[in-house]
Amino acid sequence: MLPEVILAALILLVTFTFIVTRQLGAAVSTYAVQSWLLGGVSIALFADSHLIQLLLFGLLTIAVKGIAVPQILRRRSSFALAGRRETVYFVRFPTALLIGAGLTLIGFIVATRIPYPHQLLPESVLGIALAVLLLGLFTTTARRDAILQVGGLLAAENGLLLVGLVLAPGLSLLIEFAIVLDVLIAVLVMGFLVARMHQEVSTTDTSELTRLRG
Amino acid sequence: MINTTLLLLLLAVPLLAALGSVAVSQDRIRYALVLPSSFITFALALTLIARVLSGGPIRALGDWLYLDDLNAVVLLVVMFVSSLAGAYSIAYFRSPQQGHVLRSGELRKYFSLFHLFTLTMVLATVSGNLALLWTAVTATTFASAPLVDFYGSREPLEAAWKFLVLAVAGELIALLGFLLLYASGIALLGSTYNFSVPVLGAAGAHLSPTLAGLGFMLVLVGFGTKAGLAPMHTWLPDAHSQAPAPVCAMLSGAELNCAMLAIIRVLSLATPSAGHRAIDLHAALLGFGLLSMIVGVVFLVSQRNFKRLLAYSSVEQMGLIAAGFGIGAPLAVVGALLQMLTHSLAKSLMFFNSGNLLLRFRTTTMAEVRGVIRVAPATAVLVILGALAIAGAPPFGLFVSEFSIVRGALGQPNWGAGAIIAALLLVGFIALVAPFSRMTFGEGDGTAPSASPGSELGVGVLAPGFALLAAVLLLGFWVPGPLHSLLIGASRVVNR
Repeated sequence: MLPEVILAALILLVTFTFIVTRQLGAAVSTYAVQSWLLGGVSIALFADSHLIQLLLFGLLTIAVKGIAVPQILRRRSSFALAGRRETVYFVRFPTALLIGAGLTLIGFIVATRIPYPHQLLPESVLGIALAVLLLGLFTTTARRDAILQVGGLLAAENGLLLVGLVLAPGLSLLIEFAIVLDVLIAVLVMGFLVARMHQEVSTTDTSELTRLRG
Repeated sequence: MINTTLLLLLLAVPLLAALGSVAVSQDRIRYALVLPSSFITFALALTLIARVLSGGPIRALGDWLYLDDLNAVVLLVVMFVSSLAGAYSIAYFRSPQQGHVLRSGELRKYFSLFHLFTLTMVLATVSGNLALLWTAVTATTFASAPLVDFYGSREPLEAAWKFLVLAVAGELIALLGFLLLYASGIALLGSTYNFSVPVLGAAGAHLSPTLAGLGFMLVLVGFGTKAGLAPMHTWLPDAHSQAPAPVCAMLSGAELNCAMLAIIRVLSLATPSAGHRAIDLHAALLGFGLLSMIVGVVFLVSQRNFKRLLAYSSVEQMGLIAAGFGIGAPLAVVGALLQMLTHSLAKSLMFFNSGNLLLRFRTTTMAEVRGVIRVAPATAVLVILGALAIAGAPPFGLFVSEFSIVRGALGQPNWGAGAIIAALLLVGFIALVAPFSRMTFGEGDGTAPSASPGSELGVGVLAPGFALLAAVLLLGFWVPGPLHSLLIGASRVVNR
């Protein structure tokens, strides 16, 4: 039980990088690390429970989300990663940090209120998972840069898969495969639009895209 | 098993059409693929629906695929819209008035994504496994977002980005809902079970009510974003106004209904276990529905662009459909199901009209389009009758479905919702018909090209509109027997 909890805690810690980082490249690396840790949780769970789908899911996560997706993101956004370092918030930095802490707290409180059938992982991991989901969604709404917005969504998705490991570790591998495949396609489409954005407005700062009103 | 084969063929045809559109080198062949593909898919869909009507729900491949009356209604909607949008696309891109000069490869992108978009929506309507349903609804976003960006300038890109980010965020919230729904069955079915509609349906009242209810709420918020429910609708007016006209028809007419299908499906699975709390689930749906109607109507009044006007009308109409299901009275539910069909037909017609007006006047600004009736009479007939149809005037189909919803709502002990809906529909009626009648009949000094005889548009871009007009008019007088049984059957699935 302990290794899983430690790995999960590391996922939460790593997710805060999305809140504090000033480098676009960090978003991609953070996501890769987060995915490796998630795969690690699943593999550690396999060691405890001997459910073979957990091992396969762990390996699938590492292969697709730890290796392939970061690769695609780096290639698609190489222009932006090389060019710009500073990224801007819609809200001020200390405020963002405070909101992040608040969302983490909310995640843990909500986790204690959900009467779920306890499976392999303790409640604290559900709290972590919900916090990661909320932090990811917050990153997407609070960051102006398209690459960080994508990073936020992907981080949120990792949080959700962790929720899945807590609530439904027996979910069939086919289903998890479908979800991971979905992420891969999402990244391809988003990468395509990020590249289009760079071509259209020479930046990935979405505050350049505010012509549609009303 | 013949049903399994038919279901697989239903998915295979659009997939092959998509692959074909990627593979072939000539646009001529790409055009030629569209009609046979939609015709075969439509025929397969109708065959399957007929088999559902005669033999009950179809279960295939270990419940990964499933077609019951509720799925069948939305499948019918998707195929209607997709087939006609396919036919319209051909005429639209070939039209001599087409202002956008097609670059090489653009049609390859367009038609391959078009078929994929159809495929993902068909898959959503035949999914039996709930995770597959989530995946299919999510995949509709990925197929359609690049289509929103088809014209490849700044505004469509902005619209596509907003759509993608908000839709994906919503889909993640919905996934959390589906995970909770899965957890709600663990106590009864064990930690590894077949997460499918028939299995959870059979479990009925024995699911964990708190988890199932919470799951529904999250699916409502998450997929409500995709279904265009306020206050999560903010992407919709942009995406549905920037895409090419046939894509707009698919987005408004078909895709929104797929998201709504997923919401209603989870509602139907979560309600039996909820007991006296079921009223809360319905109230949430009704609340989102009414709010969407209010937002839709308020923004209808202030629009200057007719495509945005139609997009806000979709917010209003999806709100009405949600409210109909939320009211839960049998008559209102049947009305909401019929509304899914009639709204899709009329909205596709109006988006085809918007494409025709754009072809003829090169603008989507309402004030610049005047006196269509003198310039292009056939186009004008479609515009004004379509506007009356979408606004819900008798004798069109939307009048029947809207009347059923309002009638069902007024029959409830809490008749207030019915009164609000009726009032909003009335304001919406004026806000929709007035601008289109000014565009059709107005004198004005619009900057549009001067009226010249013989400048009517080609029959290709008008015919799909006339087909839709005929269908929506027919539904106003007569709901065919099989469709009637289908709607009743679907309403029983919703109100288990």
